[in-house]
Amino acid sequence: MKSISLYKDKGTWLNLMHPYTKLLYIVAAISIPLIGGKLWLFGVLIAASLVLLASGKVLRSAVPLVAFSATLIIVIFLIQGLFNHANAEALFSVGPLTFYKEGVLFACRLGLNILNMLLSFAVFVLTTSPQELVDEMEKNGFSPKFGYIINSVFQILPQMMMTKDTITDAQRSRGLETEGSLGVRMKAFIPLISPVVMSSLVNTRERAIALEVRGFGRKNKKTWLEDRPKHKGDRVIGVILVLLVVLTIAGRVLGWL
Amino acid sequence: MALINIENLKYKYPGTDRLALDGITLSIEKGEFIGICGRNGAGKSTLSQAIIGLVPQFYKGAYGGKVEVDGVNCESRPVIELCEKVGLIFQNPFNQLTGAKETVYGEVAFGLQNLAIERDEMKKRIETVMKQLDIWQYRDRNPFDLSGGQMQRVAIASVLVMEPEVLILDEPTSQLDPQGSEEVFRVVDQLSESGITVIMIEQKLEKLAAYCDRIILMDDGKMVDFDTPEKIFSRADLEELGVQPPVFTRIAKEYGVKNEAGDYPAKLEDTVRLFQEKGVKPVRAARAKAEAAAEVFNIDQMSFSYTEEVQIFNELSLKLDRRATAIIGQNGAGKTTLVRLLKGLLKPAGGNIYYGGEDISGKTVAMLADKVGYVFQNPDDQIFKYNVLDEVMFGPLNIGMAEDKAKEEAVRALAMMGLEGKEDKNPYDLDLNERKMVAIASVIAMNTDVLILDEPTIAQDYRGKKLIGEMIKNLTEQGRLVIAILHDMDFVDEYFDRVIVMAHGEVLCEGSADEVYSMDAELEQARLHKPHMRQLLELLS
Repeated sequence: MKSISLYKDKGTWLNLMHPYTKLLYIVAAISIPLIGGKLWLFGVLIAASLVLLASGKVLRSAVPLVAFSATLIIVIFLIQGLFNHANAEALFSVGPLTFYKEGVLFACRLGLNILNMLLSFAVFVLTTSPQELVDEMEKNGFSPKFGYIINSVFQILPQMMMTKDTITDAQRSRGLETEGSLGVRMKAFIPLISPVVMSSLVNTRERAIALEVRGFGRKNKKTWLEDRPKHKGDRVIGVILVLLVVLTIAGRVLGWL
Repeated sequence: MALINIENLKYKYPGTDRLALDGITLSIEKGEFIGICGRNGAGKSTLSQAIIGLVPQFYKGAYGGKVEVDGVNCESRPVIELCEKVGLIFQNPFNQLTGAKETVYGEVAFGLQNLAIERDEMKKRIETVMKQLDIWQYRDRNPFDLSGGQMQRVAIASVLVMEPEVLILDEPTSQLDPQGSEEVFRVVDQLSESGITVIMIEQKLEKLAAYCDRIILMDDGKMVDFDTPEKIFSRADLEELGVQPPVFTRIAKEYGVKNEAGDYPAKLEDTVRLFQEKGVKPVRAARAKAEAAAEVFNIDQMSFSYTEEVQIFNELSLKLDRRATAIIGQNGAGKTTLVRLLKGLLKPAGGNIYYGGEDISGKTVAMLADKVGYVFQNPDDQIFKYNVLDEVMFGPLNIGMAEDKAKEEAVRALAMMGLEGKEDKNPYDLDLNERKMVAIASVIAMNTDVLILDEPTIAQDYRGKKLIGEMIKNLTEQGRLVIAILHDMDFVDEYFDRVIVMAHGEVLCEGSADEVYSMDAELEQARLHKPHMRQLLELLS
């Protein structure tokens, strides 16, 4: 089955690390440059995320995520560099277009912030099993029903996409044109979407029965197949991350940064 | 004291006037293997769901009478608690997976986690049951990546680990290929040996007869009879109640071969013994062999693959004429891919497909829509209109048929599929078997030269199968080519002039049913069994 989860189990130390430690990394990576207020801090954290991705053997998987954000960053650079309300000092010109220092700096800050967030999220998303995260959250009191919804999305959505393909074939077999002009596509919308919705409802009802006959929703506390052992580095890394955030705050307050 | 007690059970689904269960009273002892049979809509599934409390707790509706399992009232005890005593397996293996677990092991553990079973005990039970069901080797795989038979065994394991006293199986093999069905029946056989109380709804009555101690015969929400398979299947009014007796009972009736109690046998071994004791040799009238008529499709050295790594067809050559043709084989044999290529839904990577002498390899589905009709396996993949007539007219109108003509064809097709009088009904208010008939009618009404059916007999009872069989005969007589993918060997034997056996993307053998079902080596290679009648005749010859 083609999974929609980006997680890849490469057997690296990042896969073994507790999901909460990786969540803490996201918080630290985003907050440190924002609190510190210096542009170079973004560079440090982006470099740290890239190193982590490489050591987790998922650097290549992060490329599409970065590529996706590139368009947005380029647009920000163009708009801010050319039209930022604070633009005063010309930096460089390309033909008739003049880019200003104030706007370019603002765009850099914004672009680096986006890239930093994206890469720190990539460290988490590419190395953490969604099921493992939900299990850990449930162990800490998260609602099993919400947990089920999150987990099932990763399994059931790909199945729904396959159903949609079958339905398209079934309707094309009855002479329905599904490709062509906008009008043709609009005409095909109801015959294609109705069976998807109806079969999803039928499936949902059956699945609800299947869950109920397996005791899902009982009041008692669930048991677990495994206690996820905390990676021995989890505590150390957690402490370092918290310290770094505290140091950044202190630096900002005391004027080191 | 009996394990299950049902007293005067009456039940009506919300928004309906008809009693789905009408005055059912029965008791079942611990360790019994009980079958439930009856026509579609007789109330079989509703009864089984009342035993686990889903009726009325899940479906609501009007409920009267009493159902008790081991002294526990099933109306008031929540299903999530009752599931410790009663387990339920239903038809669709896919929908029984929780959809929240990445591995088979996690899937099987799901119920135990909810029951808060201690970890060591949980692991012990999971390993024992998974090994018993021969799925231990799949423990790290994603459950959605398994075949239907494997998935159904995972579903059974997921319920069995909860150690219920009663296991209800509602047509657990109806959507499985022959091998998948055999896998499930093998497990059920083991369970009955282990002393668990089993209640099984099944249309494969030969199987029901083979395993059950007693059978509940239902019709129109009522329990007509509750007795041994021999007594139930010997009833003179069985066919009137929409149930065709097992092949063995039918042939025993035909030759008047009865057992000492005065009933007809229902199991293969009993039938063989009685025929041998009485020295009767049954003879099967040979079917006239249909001659190959004009060629319709010519598949010439066709190759196809979904991915570069796995080739489905490698220079396959096959001709199809106007004889009604059944394609049989296990899942993954390439049957559906082949008919999708004929329909133009897929394009061959090499070679050609000729239809009526014209190369259609490059033609689109739309271009072939008025020539080749294709009924998908699941009717819910196509139904979207608010009434049956509009649904059936959708295809004819799409291919440019005038509205009057489309209506005429739709009404005729609906009558052929036994749906007269249901033209104005909402298709979603019909049962699955009737929705399947709507889907078939919607393609027949397109009046195509070729009709392809993918597993048409799934979810059909005796009447439904007979209607489909008559439709195949009818269209064949009209000179239209009917091609069907089937797992029901008895149905193939009865209605098809030509049988093609496929395995691993190749045609292993083909010919008339008489010819193909005498090719033991090829059938074994394709892992197919012979029709029950032929099995009996071979044992007696």
